[in-house]
Amino acid sequence: MPVRRSTLYVGLVVLGFLAIIWVTSIWGNIDNNQVALAASLPQESNPGEPTPQMSIGNETCLKCHGQPGLTMTLENGDVLDLSLSADGYSTSIHGKKGYACVQCHTLVGDYPHPPWTAASRRDVTLTLSTTCYRCHSDQSEKAQDSVHGAALASGNKNAAVCADCHTGHAVQRLTDPKTGLLSTSSHILIPQICAQCHNAIYQKYKSSVHGAALIDENNPDVPTCISCHGVHNIENPTTAYFRLNSPQICAKCHTDKTIMGKYGIPTDVLTTYVADFHGTTVSVFEKQSPDAQVNKAVCFDCHGIHDIQRVDNPVTGIQIKENLLVRCKICHPDATTNFPSAWLSHYIPTAKNNRMVYFVELFYKLFIPAVLGGMGLLVALDFGHSLSSKIRKLKPTPPPAPPPPIPVEEAQNE
Amino acid sequence: MSVSRAPEDGHIRSENVFRRFSLAQRWEHLILLVCFAILFLTGLPQKYRATTWSQDILSTPDRVKTVQTIHHIFAIVLVLEVLYHLGKAFYLMGKRKLSGNIFPTWNDFKDAWKMIKYLLFLSKEKPAYGKYNFEQKVTYWFLFFGIGIMVVTGLILLFPIFVTRFLPGGVVPAALLAHGTEAIIAMLFVVIWHFYHVHLERLNLSIFTGKLNEEEMQKHHALEYKRLMAQAKNDPKNGGRS
Repeated sequence: MPVRRSTLYVGLVVLGFLAIIWVTSIWGNIDNNQVALAASLPQESNPGEPTPQMSIGNETCLKCHGQPGLTMTLENGDVLDLSLSADGYSTSIHGKKGYACVQCHTLVGDYPHPPWTAASRRDVTLTLSTTCYRCHSDQSEKAQDSVHGAALASGNKNAAVCADCHTGHAVQRLTDPKTGLLSTSSHILIPQICAQCHNAIYQKYKSSVHGAALIDENNPDVPTCISCHGVHNIENPTTAYFRLNSPQICAKCHTDKTIMGKYGIPTDVLTTYVADFHGTTVSVFEKQSPDAQVNKAVCFDCHGIHDIQRVDNPVTGIQIKENLLVRCKICHPDATTNFPSAWLSHYIPTAKNNRMVYFVELFYKLFIPAVLGGMGLLVALDFGHSLSSKIRKLKPTPPPAPPPPIPVEEAQNE
Repeated sequence: MSVSRAPEDGHIRSENVFRRFSLAQRWEHLILLVCFAILFLTGLPQKYRATTWSQDILSTPDRVKTVQTIHHIFAIVLVLEVLYHLGKAFYLMGKRKLSGNIFPTWNDFKDAWKMIKYLLFLSKEKPAYGKYNFEQKVTYWFLFFGIGIMVVTGLILLFPIFVTRFLPGGVVPAALLAHGTEAIIAMLFVVIWHFYHVHLERLNLSIFTGKLNEEEMQKHHALEYKRLMAQAKNDPKNGGRS
């Protein structure tokens, strides 16, 4: 019996302890919500302004968190590293500007910290990334509307959040403060950032004409992932809308004479595409019904999606008809050798590059004025002749007869 | 062509009526007319895709599909009509019964020249015509070859993969250009030439009624009129009645 009673006491203590943890965790969540709510209020969203919690300096935090080996074990057994090298943060954009730890870590409270835990390390990242909204609401909202945001909302915890791309503490400035555009040195970082999750695509991109120029030559003219997919509001690239709109993405650079001029690439590729049958249809639906499922070829169907190669590449270039035929066959499986030349290859037909179209054009240029013009003339002559003879008939002057006015004559006849 | 004579009595003016087109020919013309109009109307927005009116009509893939389906159905009807027309011609040719009236002769060129002189007031004499004048022959042969081009290029566009097994790929864009351009030419031709001659110059509805009256025959087909009247006299069996 005494044994039983002691187990009961131990059990009650354990239960009480669990209850305290439960209550505090709920309290933490409420707190969290309140912070998020407060942050969304306009008067509170004052980026860069120190909050009252600024009273706790970073040195205070680093007293403990600057020491290596400070860890905590999360609910699923993940070990969360709580130490931070002071240098890592101080070289980041936030560190340089003197932001305080507690401006992001708003939930830690005073010391000793209130009890806190998380289900996993991923949950820690997901929770802490919401704090970015406090200053970067514009970007955060875009990210929430993005394909990543949608995936997260639908329960995919692996969907990228702020810290996945920007890191937690070592956040760097990627844009040029003067232009607001991506700085030249940041270009090369972008594909590496996306590659953390999208490595298979990165491998394709690396070998493409764009990727190779970026990685081997650090060429700032070539597109990185975000040039086509957007920065924070990254769209789902598998939608009908994305497909119909995609020629405009390529056209952004490929119709720009200053960029294309450097590489001797023609800038009429969009107009010649729109002039040909695939492009005509795509461009009309892009305007009229942007969400329509259209199976007509767009740029990437022939040129590749991430593995885009030079068209004059001696091995893989689609200037070689056999290579283009492979692309044609994706939609036209029964196509044979001659079929690819049915596409005008971005040319305005001339005697040289498409004789048949050119001669048909020439034939009608001569035929229309010669034959239709001749017929029109004949009809006009005929019309003129019959008009003039009618006018002559109306004139009351048959030469031999004396000219009494017609009404009188008619009256006499009656 | 045959002559039918109205019964003569004191009250009704006697008038000969000349049968100009058979019922089959009139049906052929009607089918051609309907196909031509529908093919033109459904083809036009497909040709001028850069214009806003075309984009408003063909604004979704479903609408394009519908218009193309209508276009293809009437194209098939037209092809069947062409096959019937040619088949009948070859059949009659085989039996040595094909009338040569519609074929162009040297005389037509002379008639055209005479007509031009007449229209330019260089001569007061209008040429006398047989069953078909040179203008009507031009109408027939212009549309004969025009429809030929439309059918061939249309089939290339409908079966580009099959066609490029035998022909170079360039025929497809060439056919696209020819199909669209020829269509416009054919329509302009019908409006400028054909409509002028059958509606404005004089109202000639013989392709629908099948008949011409004596006055019209004398005035517009003098040679044919003479020939028929002579034939009627020499054929005492029915006195020219058909």
